[in-house]
Amino acid sequence: MLRLALGRLVLTLPTMLAAATLVFLMLHLVPGDPVDVMLGESTQAADRAALRRTLGLDRPLATQYGAFLLGLVRGDLGRSLVQGTAVAELVAARFPATAELTIAALAVALALAFPLGLAAAARPGTWLDRGSIGLALLGVSVPSFWLGPMLILLLSIHWRWLPVSGRGTWAHLVLPACTLGFGMAAILTRMTRASVLECLGEDYVRTARAKGVGRLAILTRHALRNALGPVVTILGLQFGALLAGTVITETIFAWPGIGRLLIDAINQRDYPVVQGCVLVIAACFVIANALADVVNAWLDPRSGAAAARSNG
Amino acid sequence: MRAALTGLLLCALSCSRPAATAAPPGTVVIALESAPAALDPRFTTDANSALVADLVSDGLTAGDERGEPVPALAEWQHPSPLEWQFTLRANVRFHDGTPLTAADVAATYRSVLDPTMGSPKREAFAAIAAIEAPDPLTVVFRLREVSASFLESTSLGIMPAHLAADGPIAPAAVVGSGPFRVAEILDGGGVELAAWRDAPDGAPRLARVRFRVVPDGVVRALELANGSVHLVQNALDPDLLPWLAARPELELIISPGTTFQYLGLNLRDPRLADRRVRTALAAGIDRNAIVRHVLRDTATAATGLLPPAHWAYTGDVAQHPYDPARAAALLERAGLGRAASAAHRRFSYKTSTVELRRRIAEVFQHDLAGLGLGLDIRSYEWATFYDDIKRGNFELYALAWVGVRDPDIYFRMFHSTMQPPAGVNRGGYASPAMDRLVAAARATEDRAERRRLYAEVQRLAAEDLPIIPLWWAENVVVKSRTLRGFVPAPNGSLRSLATATFAAPAPSTAVSSARGPAPATTAWPPHSYFR
Repeated sequence: MLRLALGRLVLTLPTMLAAATLVFLMLHLVPGDPVDVMLGESTQAADRAALRRTLGLDRPLATQYGAFLLGLVRGDLGRSLVQGTAVAELVAARFPATAELTIAALAVALALAFPLGLAAAARPGTWLDRGSIGLALLGVSVPSFWLGPMLILLLSIHWRWLPVSGRGTWAHLVLPACTLGFGMAAILTRMTRASVLECLGEDYVRTARAKGVGRLAILTRHALRNALGPVVTILGLQFGALLAGTVITETIFAWPGIGRLLIDAINQRDYPVVQGCVLVIAACFVIANALADVVNAWLDPRSGAAAARSNG
Repeated sequence: MRAALTGLLLCALSCSRPAATAAPPGTVVIALESAPAALDPRFTTDANSALVADLVSDGLTAGDERGEPVPALAEWQHPSPLEWQFTLRANVRFHDGTPLTAADVAATYRSVLDPTMGSPKREAFAAIAAIEAPDPLTVVFRLREVSASFLESTSLGIMPAHLAADGPIAPAAVVGSGPFRVAEILDGGGVELAAWRDAPDGAPRLARVRFRVVPDGVVRALELANGSVHLVQNALDPDLLPWLAARPELELIISPGTTFQYLGLNLRDPRLADRRVRTALAAGIDRNAIVRHVLRDTATAATGLLPPAHWAYTGDVAQHPYDPARAAALLERAGLGRAASAAHRRFSYKTSTVELRRRIAEVFQHDLAGLGLGLDIRSYEWATFYDDIKRGNFELYALAWVGVRDPDIYFRMFHSTMQPPAGVNRGGYASPAMDRLVAAARATEDRAERRRLYAEVQRLAAEDLPIIPLWWAENVVVKSRTLRGFVPAPNGSLRSLATATFAAPAPSTAVSSARGPAPATTAWPPHSYFR
């Protein structure tokens, strides 16, 4: 399993390099100039040129790309063009907020998806099934920029239970985590239902049933455990969507995370910060997927062995 | 595994720090849409930075509500055309306790003039030849040439000499002599200021002012409704104002502002080079309907760049009220009538991605369709949009000027030599008469003469229409009734917080208009604004 984990980790490197290169090129090809955005209107052309030189933006693109890669190799993400602070420092300051939100959202999603999905699978075709799938459909169709303000209206303004936005106490985490978690719960519920239903038709379930194992024990111990494989894979993939979703959720809830940092940096054309944020998000995505593989191997030793073989 | 996951979750959750959000009593919370990028007065270029820096740093002079210079840290004499002498107020202290002296003033200005410092405000002081500090309370500026707007530019915030020597000072380390000092930089780019007990005009009664960054407009309104934010200025969707104004604990204040919205035109396009076409566009757009129905009366149809309160304003200019018949006739004569080819009658119109701007664009599209003109609306994210505008890559666009105080901006906007990158004449307007007027107005220091010349400039601009004036945005403030004594300033400055207090809410009408003099404010460089 360690070998599998290491193999997966090595495979992340080319993915990250590709992501970094793509972001670098796209950013520089898109119109918009960080110096113009920074200086505003009342600046002389000579002063603009001087700033451009100071920031190293007058060098050819290939040279800038080379410097960027060289920095990466040394573990240096560069400095923010606007604030002058090291990118690693900026990202590190914002990362805990995003991690906190993502993990809390994941917890909300799992807490909703497993019971709902299991209930739906246990009584297929009944109102319970239709109800939980309907709820799941609602969760996936409601955009977070609508759900967020609605939750605020109800829980913060009307009932005055929770703060509106910002980060600070536990209470601040509830609304953004729910907003972000609901969308993910929807897909997970459907996945859990389908996967459990499939397992319920397997021979080993019939055997267990014949042996007189209780309904609940069959569902949780036999069906769910075997159904987890695809669910965990989807979870890994969804994690990326979750990170992308934080950009919107962080904007709505004034949550000081990577998503906000990224949006501000894009608006200001702060190239090194955008690159740093995208690299970190890409790394999280890749690591989450690698983690999903490892968890799958632990859940089902057969898939682990196959994966380890295919990795050489 | 389950235990490990739970542990990880608990660990992440316990990283949440204790409440930094429940504001202690005496703290006014203000929501901004974006973080102030800099608080060093030599480097503030965006509106939110200027807004916060204005409370922290004082300049030698400030601007009153008409934009006229008034003494702040210093009184001035002007013994000869090339010499300005400032006498500083005695006993003014910086937030670090050190006295403010002529040496600090000289160091601040010298650092802005230093090309290696890279201050974006250097251009404004290009006329300075030498700065002298003959005694601790006297500063003398010697100019290379007569500069009509020199006094206006002396509102630059003064910082201690030992800090001025360094490049941009990080927000947490900025020291000024204004009514509030920087207390803390918050997560997500917010700033908390604390009352400066030795402020020259007495310590503010508010203990703290917290600027929180709340990027989403709906959430800013919800924060106000919740009582966790006490003031939002010019950052609310007009559609939300009636809902907020109906809440008994909130107050909506609409007062004159200085933000000028205009329709930019590319005069290099042969169709738009024709004045009849520009006039037809001006007369073909129903400004008043947009102001009433889209902007919900938070703007006034404009006659030109300078607002009526400005010392150089004249309202005696050609106006182009909504008149589709006149517009159609003008288009007919200019060869853009319905007989012209459809391609010839199409214009592209660039605007930002902000929802309100897109809705306004759709009204333009509808109005112009009535004249047989097509309008392709292209909405871009700010940096791309701004880049296109600066390159002259547009036919029509809408943008705003914010914080215009010095009418010398007309030189950079309309003089034929001021096309980008030299200036902001983006449409490529060239008129010998205009060139003469704007050059003459900047060469004289006589206020009456300048007023006469700028009146001529405004008349010519209203006739020639190098840009089409749309409206002046009002200053729209929604604030908690518990915050008393806040008076909005035309340029959006929050300086009156220095004398404001928290008190029990008093019943009054939901909408009131601000009366009474606005406090003198530090001016900031004019800039384009895209909301």
